[in-house]
Amino acid sequence: MSYAYLFKYIIIGDTGVGKSCLLLQFTDKRFQPVHDLTIGVEFGARMITIDNKPIKLQIWDTAGQESFRSITRSYYRGAAGALLVYDITRRETFNHLANWLEDARQHANANMTIMLIGNKCDLSHRRAVSTEEGEQFAKEHGLVFMEASAKTAQNVEEAFISTAATIYKKIQDGVFDVSNESYGIKVGYGGIPGPSGGRDGTSSQAGGCCS
Amino acid sequence: MKALRRSHTSNSSSSSPSSSSTMSSWIHLRSLLIVASSPVPDRGSLKSPWSRRKRKRALTRHQWYSFFTPEGKLRDGGLKFLKKVRSGGVDPSIRAEVWPFLLGVYNLNSSRAERNAVRQQKRKEYEKLRRRCRRLLKLSNEGDKELKEIVQVSYAESPIFIEGHESPGSEDVFSARESPSVDRGSPVDGGTEQPSRDETSASNSCNVEEEDKSGITHVNDASAGETESSDTESSTEDEPESDLMYSAAEGNMETDPKYIKITSIKGDNPKSSRTAEDYATWQRIIRLDAIRANVEWVIYSPAQALVSEDKALKSAVAVGLKDYDHLEPCRIYHAARLVAILEAYALYDPEIGYCQGMSDLLSPILAVMEEDYEAFWCFVGFMRKARHNFRLDEVGIRRQLNIVSKIIKSKDLHLFRHLEKLQAEDCFFVYRMVVVLFRRELTFEQTVCLWEVMWADQAAIRAGIGKSAWGRIRLRAPPTEDLLLYAIAACVLQRRKLIIETYSSMDEIIRACNNMAGQLDVWKLLDDAHDLVVTLHDKIE
Repeated sequence: MSYAYLFKYIIIGDTGVGKSCLLLQFTDKRFQPVHDLTIGVEFGARMITIDNKPIKLQIWDTAGQESFRSITRSYYRGAAGALLVYDITRRETFNHLANWLEDARQHANANMTIMLIGNKCDLSHRRAVSTEEGEQFAKEHGLVFMEASAKTAQNVEEAFISTAATIYKKIQDGVFDVSNESYGIKVGYGGIPGPSGGRDGTSSQAGGCCS
Repeated sequence: MKALRRSHTSNSSSSSPSSSSTMSSWIHLRSLLIVASSPVPDRGSLKSPWSRRKRKRALTRHQWYSFFTPEGKLRDGGLKFLKKVRSGGVDPSIRAEVWPFLLGVYNLNSSRAERNAVRQQKRKEYEKLRRRCRRLLKLSNEGDKELKEIVQVSYAESPIFIEGHESPGSEDVFSARESPSVDRGSPVDGGTEQPSRDETSASNSCNVEEEDKSGITHVNDASAGETESSDTESSTEDEPESDLMYSAAEGNMETDPKYIKITSIKGDNPKSSRTAEDYATWQRIIRLDAIRANVEWVIYSPAQALVSEDKALKSAVAVGLKDYDHLEPCRIYHAARLVAILEAYALYDPEIGYCQGMSDLLSPILAVMEEDYEAFWCFVGFMRKARHNFRLDEVGIRRQLNIVSKIIKSKDLHLFRHLEKLQAEDCFFVYRMVVVLFRRELTFEQTVCLWEVMWADQAAIRAGIGKSAWGRIRLRAPPTEDLLLYAIAACVLQRRKLIIETYSSMDEIIRACNNMAGQLDVWKLLDDAHDLVVTLHDKIE
């Protein structure tokens, strides 16, 4: 399937915060209450549309445990966007955000767009991290912030798409040298220069594993 | 070349799965055909030049019993037994009896009486570990902030082990217990061995015996060893976990934090980029992972599938399981068992502790073994080799990826060059297959068959059944420590055409590998793996 741009994403955060479930909700529009834990890295992809341009998101979902961290690190390079996820019902996952961020800053390219996501916001009765705290952390570290729920799909589309919109804006602003793929951006055939023409539609979906 | 051969032979073998289909290869292979091949019907549609070695019948109960002498010893040191398992796996109905032999919990040369004694001993040892787990959990539940510092286990290069459960003072029954430095060539009840270093890994070439000389860390674990009151032990050892919870009487030295201190020599300077996880972190992650364990085992383990809600809930409470309201009783029960054993293992082998993926390896063992202590020691036996997959320094993983790469390079230079072009020659794309030994790519039954065949190879090597013995007898492919890696390479080689013609980036190969689930045939894989062993083992090993 042709695209104007391909953006590479990485999803990071503590184990069990719902990274794989967010991805599954985004690519397949379904929720799996008991999801196998991720070993190493896994993969998902979906087409979206921004500014009438088809954009392919290629998303690497990573394992959360420290033991897999060095594998995860090799995926920071070459990612244009990152979703940093914590679980609003488990305080420690929020407390570890600074470590994740440090890791990302150290191993990713400087212009990587990072979205902070407080997942499981459907479980507000078990909330252990307030929305304000999430906002505060995001503000301090210059991140975009949303609370989301992989279960109800609340804000899932928005999180992935607004990250893409930010990246797209950076391209328009000339922040990236898009010919350099190490930024996690690839120019497709239908892309530059000018509008791609034929393709349109809102967030057209191409299934979990489109190529 | 290989592809051509395959398509050629497929014509002759497509119609019949019986041994006659392989007639054309008999001439070359008569030495292999002492036992008539009678593959299971559902494998019959597979063709390969090695189809003559398609799955033999699994080891049956009748055969299994016939291998034993009246004293309950395996005849000929278990050679026939291992050969049988190696070619066909084990019938599900006898797995629980057979696995402890395959995994070195019992010595292949042991008599029934010896095994009974080992069993008693193992049970006590496991109970002792569990008691320590419960105390630690109690401490962490009480919010003892000291715990984090106290039970901190570092990932220094030097191996760490807990002395307590192997301390000279507590040994009494069996030989392996008297010598943690068991010679790998003669497995004496290998389950009690301390996990040994990876022999082939350069930086860890010492065996257990050498560890003491190489700056081994000693653990000040006064609690578990000789200092433990024998009264406490004998009074509690037979009680089920649920009745043992947090008994105040258990207190004494073990609940005193200073006695559970695990120290380590950090001489080799763990890399600064790694933060050590502590036992409290493992406790937490184990519980998170346990409640999301794969549930495929259920149909293979009807007794456990029908566990009562009452029993399941009790077991959950006993191990401090959390957030399991959404699960059925059998899953709760399974999760509680996972927690109990993984926690015990983290104490038993604190250098590894707990790493995600270990639950994938334990879950099938739990499905087969009804008793926790038996499952634990089988898991210990499994982990003797698999533990290297979970080292934080990734030495074990890298060594294995390297071997897969080498096999592919030796077998198929064209494919290898293509991988090089994609910067994928490090074979990182098979990472998951290596870490959890095909558990994610194969079904439960297939995985277990593959593991049995692999364990039989490893047991043969431990028992010192050398290449010559196998050659003399029947199988040309000698037993190898790394059968899994040959199987992984075989799996990649089976897709060579696709990889070369279709894939233009390493990402695509990873995605393909991760999506192989349900598309592999384990016996075909093993046929191809053995093929590779025959032709390459001299080069690779």
